[in-house]
Amino acid sequence: MQRFAFLGRFARNRGALVGAVVILVVAFVAVTAPFFFPRDPLRIVGQPELWPGEDPDFLLGTDSLGRDILAMIVHGARATLLIGLFASAVATLIGVTIGAIAGYFGGWTDEIAMRSAELFQTIPNLIFVLTIVVILGSTLTNIVIAIGIVSWTPIARMTRAEFLSLRDREFVQACRSMGMGNAGIIVGEILPNALPPVIVLSSLVVAGAILFESAVSFLGLGDPNVASWGRLVGDGRQLIRSSWYICAIPGVAIMITVLCLNLIGDGLNDALNPKLRDR
Amino acid sequence: MTNKVSRRVFGAGALATGLIGTSSLPSFAQGDPKRGGTLVATWGGGEPQACYVPAGGGSSPTFSSSKLFERLGNRRMDGVFEGELAESWKPAADFQSYTVKLRKGVKFHDGKDMTSADVVFSIDEIWKKYAAASALTDYVGVEAPDAETVVVKFSKPVPEFFFSSLLCGSVNYIVPKHVYAGSDPITNPANNAPIATGPWKFKEWVRGSHFEYVKNEAYWRPGFPYMDRLIIRYVRDPAGRAAAMEAGEIQIGVFNPVAPPDIKRLVATGKFVATPKGYEEGVWSTSFEVNMRNPIFAKREVRQAMFHAIDRSMIAKTVYYGYARPGTGPVFSPNKEFFTPDTYKTVYDPKKAAALLDAAGYPKKGDGKRFTLNLLAAGWFTENGKIGAIVKQGLEDVGVGINLTVPDRPTSIKRIYSDYDFDVAISNQANPSEPVPSTTQYYTSDGIKKGVPFRNASGFHTPEVDALVEKIKVETDPAKRKAMVVEFQKITTLEASNLPLLELESITVASVKVQNHSNDPNYLAASWYDIWLAS
Repeated sequence: MQRFAFLGRFARNRGALVGAVVILVVAFVAVTAPFFFPRDPLRIVGQPELWPGEDPDFLLGTDSLGRDILAMIVHGARATLLIGLFASAVATLIGVTIGAIAGYFGGWTDEIAMRSAELFQTIPNLIFVLTIVVILGSTLTNIVIAIGIVSWTPIARMTRAEFLSLRDREFVQACRSMGMGNAGIIVGEILPNALPPVIVLSSLVVAGAILFESAVSFLGLGDPNVASWGRLVGDGRQLIRSSWYICAIPGVAIMITVLCLNLIGDGLNDALNPKLRDR
Repeated sequence: MTNKVSRRVFGAGALATGLIGTSSLPSFAQGDPKRGGTLVATWGGGEPQACYVPAGGGSSPTFSSSKLFERLGNRRMDGVFEGELAESWKPAADFQSYTVKLRKGVKFHDGKDMTSADVVFSIDEIWKKYAAASALTDYVGVEAPDAETVVVKFSKPVPEFFFSSLLCGSVNYIVPKHVYAGSDPITNPANNAPIATGPWKFKEWVRGSHFEYVKNEAYWRPGFPYMDRLIIRYVRDPAGRAAAMEAGEIQIGVFNPVAPPDIKRLVATGKFVATPKGYEEGVWSTSFEVNMRNPIFAKREVRQAMFHAIDRSMIAKTVYYGYARPGTGPVFSPNKEFFTPDTYKTVYDPKKAAALLDAAGYPKKGDGKRFTLNLLAAGWFTENGKIGAIVKQGLEDVGVGINLTVPDRPTSIKRIYSDYDFDVAISNQANPSEPVPSTTQYYTSDGIKKGVPFRNASGFHTPEVDALVEKIKVETDPAKRKAMVVEFQKITTLEASNLPLLELESITVASVKVQNHSNDPNYLAASWYDIWLAS
């Protein structure tokens, strides 16, 4: 019953509903990509620079080398969503761990954790990502790690704030007086209560991660063995005067996906925030 | 164009100081030169690691340093060698020493005279150790009988074409002894603010943006340069360069400044000209090399198969829009002195590639792959990444798994030439007509120099090729020498360790206002002393 109430509250935000539907479609396309386009999407299959509609075999045209843009968009959805989800997972894992420990224990643990978080925050995010990718090498895993490393600080701060406000509540003190260990209290008692705002933030990190990956690929530092949207924009950049569709199509895909992820974040906020429950 | 012609030219003293170069003026020249003004130039690559790199360091530092530094000699558009900082040179009867007469009245940018002491220092400390180390293997020493003469001595006979080419070598500059003596030339701070003899004086380097050079008022060619300032601007991508040229911010771009479709578009506006002239002595190629340290490449058939799997015509058509032709061998086809078409041909033939790999003992395994290789496409040109994609596809079609990486310029140089961290690599070479050592050093054991860019990174060497190159070095009879170079081309194409995929047709795009450009067979590395801008 409670679950349906949650869905109802989420659906009350029309934007979030649209966002969720679009993202589901994108996810469906990503999952079924190999069925519709069984060939390697990076294969050269036709004339270079065919405009969308010029050849019925290539609905969205071909890029500067003659690769099918539709196939690259569809397969690119996989890479793009995977990077977004995994980078967000990495960031959430790091952020929640550090934030929880800092907020729960306080004192010098908190000091060290928050000063190091500030250290990460002072470095411009994109430059930090590029640096890590250049040093570790341009593979999908390294890009995910790099985005995770730069995106964990807001999550850590949010988690810490929640923990600070929850750690001295009666139910926590009750657990303590019953002799429950620190780990048990953190994971079993406080974390479930601290999680809702963190989930909202994590969903926004997914959108941010997609943008980071696009920027990295646009600058030519993406994984050249994988079709991703940002890479397609980067490849088309040279031809923007003559064949602008090569940049525009993946650019629109990135824009719609990121927008929808943000809408979902808004919807989650509405659904998870008890204060908005009766709006 | 033969050695005899060049000797006669110098002997006749036909090159009066102020007239040098006038015979090679290009067809673009019109009217009286206009004086003053600023020229903004760019090139089809990125910013260099230093303004001047004693060991060369690739085209980028060559482009930036060649406007400041000068060489002893220069090869003209018509193939004749002429003096620049030297007035003439001639060999001794045994070809084991050459006497070089220096130009009088040349001053460095700081006002000090250039003398034979600077030339001796440059040859001993810069050429021998860095710039021409691989060319000067038989070098014994250089003496300066007086302030205007040096005698360069060798332990073996040195062909005149080789010696003349040496004096014109793209980074065989004359550097000031008083600036470089007693320091490590590699780390000397003057490399980023050079003091030299050329038509342009270094003013500043705004990193990430541009070099600013100003007119050398005391230049030894009276009346030159015409212009007051030369700016070398770096724009990261070709589309940006095209936009900057259209906006009038950049007047000339050498070495493929804009993407091929933009070349046609810019020329169609009537405001720009595009020319393939000016690259005859620096023909560029996109090379493909295998790392012999990987035991898979021990068999010659496997190396040949790599080349047979690559569709070079398709690369020429799609990546270079026709501004390239499939390469046949290590000596490029515009090289009138030494090129031969009669070599082992690694034409596109996937079936043959597959058969060669089968025969070499690498059949397809269960997953359809024979083996997997790391392909590194050097990211200094955007084209290389695209070629990487085509090469990957070609090799995968014959059952060779490929992990493609396209690192940026510093990482590419490090991974190919220092760490040898690749199985197969796509890189670039630009070679002058003289094959020793620029071309031969990619195939000899003394070309394997860890950490030195654009040398033998594949690690290929055989006693046969080493011995042949030694003979080419000392053969002073031009006809016999050519026969040996032909033999060299046959062997290296058969061995297939490192061959050009394509010979590139480099293009200079310039505003129609720019005069006296593209008038040197290696225009990227010319001093541009006579360039001017019409109003």
